[in-house]
Amino acid sequence: MTIGINEFIFSATLLFLIGFMGVVFRRNTLVVYMSLELMLNAVNLALVAFSRYNQTMDGAIFVFFIMTVAAAEVAVGLAIIVMLFRKRQTISLSELNELKG
Amino acid sequence: MTNGITSFLQELSLSNQWLVLLPEISLALLSLVLLGFDLFGKASRQAVLDEFKFRISLMGQLAILALLIIGRESFNQSGSFLFGGLVEQSDQTFLMRCFFILGSIFVTVLASRFLSKANLPKAEYYHLCLLACAGFMLLVQSAQFVLFFVSLELVTIAFYILVAFNRTNALSLEAGLKYLTLGALSSAFLLFGIVLLYGISGNPNLEGYTSLGFQFSQLQEFIHLNADNTIVRVGALMVIAGICFKLGAFPFQIWIPDVYQGAPTPTTAFLATSSKAAGVFVLIQLLQGPFLALSEFLIPILSIICTITILYGNIAASGQSNVKRLLGLSGISHAGYLLMGIIASFLIPESFVAVFFYLCLYLLSSFLVFGLLIQISQEEEGQLEIGAFRGLYSKNAFLGTMGIIGLGSLAGIPPLGGFIGKLLLLNVAFQAELYWLIGVALVGIVISIYYYFGWIRAMLTEQESEEKAIAISFEDRIIYGFIIALIVLLGLIPGILISIIQ
Repeated sequence: MTIGINEFIFSATLLFLIGFMGVVFRRNTLVVYMSLELMLNAVNLALVAFSRYNQTMDGAIFVFFIMTVAAAEVAVGLAIIVMLFRKRQTISLSELNELKG
Repeated sequence: MTNGITSFLQELSLSNQWLVLLPEISLALLSLVLLGFDLFGKASRQAVLDEFKFRISLMGQLAILALLIIGRESFNQSGSFLFGGLVEQSDQTFLMRCFFILGSIFVTVLASRFLSKANLPKAEYYHLCLLACAGFMLLVQSAQFVLFFVSLELVTIAFYILVAFNRTNALSLEAGLKYLTLGALSSAFLLFGIVLLYGISGNPNLEGYTSLGFQFSQLQEFIHLNADNTIVRVGALMVIAGICFKLGAFPFQIWIPDVYQGAPTPTTAFLATSSKAAGVFVLIQLLQGPFLALSEFLIPILSIICTITILYGNIAASGQSNVKRLLGLSGISHAGYLLMGIIASFLIPESFVAVFFYLCLYLLSSFLVFGLLIQISQEEEGQLEIGAFRGLYSKNAFLGTMGIIGLGSLAGIPPLGGFIGKLLLLNVAFQAELYWLIGVALVGIVISIYYYFGWIRAMLTEQESEEKAIAISFEDRIIYGFIIALIVLLGLIPGILISIIQ
């Protein structure tokens, strides 16, 4: 059996949904971040698969932009998490609820 | 074959006219210059240096704005093929570029007042503000999803830092974390939508497939032929969902009150004005471009979003006493009114005039209100309540007038500019026969008058207390006085701005 475009897109969608569930339901900030990365990587997988199937390079090149941006995002995110941990001694989302009203 | 590729590349490189992006490039250079000052400045003369950095940033931005307007012919080449189709300019993008520089000038002014009060580093704030402004300007001109995504992320990442800028304050950091998590989530949605559109539009089995699936113009042709395709519809919805996050529209509005409250006040002002304006304009561009053929499918969905956004924003704001949360929630309802104009733009292309007029007035009024917050706030600016404004008019008549004009314009009281903005939006919605939305908007406006007036009443009530009068510097009086005059003038003679837009 050959693995075609449908299988790739199915697994990318599945990964995206798993990541989304992780962002919504997990309470640890770091796990939430990993789930976000999972979503972005699902996008990358779908892009590469489509790029191969459609015989165009644009998609494969876009993947590099997404990876760079994701790296920058994580760099800023981790800095914020570290500062917050020093301040509050917790990174659990259920305990970070000072902003309310 | 090789010859074909070479000539193709030559043609592409000829379209790289860097001159048209000179304003954006100058903004980026200016931001680097500001960082340079921090390297070479002496610590003993910090106060002088800080003032100097502010002047440089302000003058630089004013000069770039002047450059953009004077050199309009060379920086705004509508209809020509730029950067291999990455950049597309029109009179509308030109107006938006001016709008964003103006917004960033306002934020710089607010930031200089705020940062010296809160004793925070200056150069980095101005630096990020300029970069975000350049990102916004690129975003509105992009005609292809790669540039669109990269410039959107340039803005978003700058904003993550700006929101968490007060890093000794747990509230600011918490707001930064929330904004970052939800912002990254919305980017992932946007990306997945882009990928679906790219994948389906390149599918060789479909009619009208294209090899340039990221290009807005190619996508428009493809979607026109395949408007019933499920994947196209899902992709378009996911892209719109990602932009709704920027706009603060339902169902992506949950971050707004928390982030607005925790972020430093100038950042809140930036989020409320420029970020929202970018979302609005990008949505209009996508709906009039690639997604035009989907209008029958999208109009009902957007109408539902618009209805819930207006009602949610107004109802949640009416029970709010924390001023920054109130401004955030009422900002959601403003996004709802703007969405009404966006839906109308499907049917009536001229509704851009109304939307842009509304955005300009929203920018001016928000500048006054946030300026007032910075003047009033003491240590914990995130906890500022309406009660702190009690008796403001008797303490300082100028600040009182500033608050009344700003809030009155946001509420849309007749002689002020905000009223005309709302009137124009309702007018285009009427022309587009969106009667249901007009009804919802009117209900929303009535509710908003209730909570804006509660705030204004607090300012006007007399209060006998020993608290000393609040001072305001001469320079601030000139700046804010000018804005007040502008709002009143645009309310009386709106034709000035409308003729400029047209």
